[in-house]
Amino acid sequence: MLAGQIAFYVLAAAAIGSGIGVIAFRNAVYSALSLIVNLFCLALFFLMLNAIFLATVQVLVYAGAIMVLFLFVVTMLSPENDESLPTPDRLGLWQRGAAVGLGIILAGAIGYIVVGQAALHPDAVATGAQDLASQISRNGNTEAFGQALFHGFLFPFEVTSVILVAAIVGAVVLGRRTSSREGE
Amino acid sequence: MPMPMPPNAFLLVSAILFTIGVVGVLSRRNPLVIFMSIELMLNAVNLSFMTFSSALHSVDGWIFVFLVLTVAAAEVVIGLAIIVSIFRSRQEIDVDDLNSMKG
Repeated sequence: MLAGQIAFYVLAAAAIGSGIGVIAFRNAVYSALSLIVNLFCLALFFLMLNAIFLATVQVLVYAGAIMVLFLFVVTMLSPENDESLPTPDRLGLWQRGAAVGLGIILAGAIGYIVVGQAALHPDAVATGAQDLASQISRNGNTEAFGQALFHGFLFPFEVTSVILVAAIVGAVVLGRRTSSREGE
Repeated sequence: MPMPMPPNAFLLVSAILFTIGVVGVLSRRNPLVIFMSIELMLNAVNLSFMTFSSALHSVDGWIFVFLVLTVAAAEVVIGLAIIVSIFRSRQEIDVDDLNSMKG
């Protein structure tokens, strides 16, 4: 329980700090990058609240798709000068050191899981299938989410498809080059 | 796994993030940063949806988060397309200078 509390405080500090970074950085690229950090923190909050599916969707859709779109547009339109962005030559020594350190930590964690069978948490071994089923029925997981989405909330789910089609059509119309209209 | 903290702690983080987003929308003039602040507010609301859903042992909040994700994706696509087309026609995107539709 204590570990969960420490994780919460670290996550809350990271989320609020990166949120302030979004509105405080002068360069829009830095804002976008700290928004990505913020979205990852939110995904970890979702994990903490037992929503594994939505945490995955948060990382895939938000940090993956939406933020890539944001970064494309930011780098395309950024009216600021690009001298404030560090080029590879001007990367500080601490940045290289931090990158190497984080890489070593990641490799160590993956190796620990793969080699040391750490994926099996002691609680998972102790409880067994019976308790897992009751936990699923109590807390809900991807299956419960799917049941609710396709039984209770089928109509909103279908309306979502209309929204997405409208967004696609609108983006195509707005993104069309005006010169192609002159060629018609 | 029970919640490691009381729901109020999650709601407090959500409220702080929402406030940061409001401050960003009101204080920045780059429309891209304004859009990012809107995303920040949407995510803060998502966090409070998840908190209530977890505290009340209900899945309904997850559905709302899912729908908010979809609407946010559509909104970002359209908003960025509008910003790009404005930039194409005016070569600058400062919101204070975009006053040609002022009533």
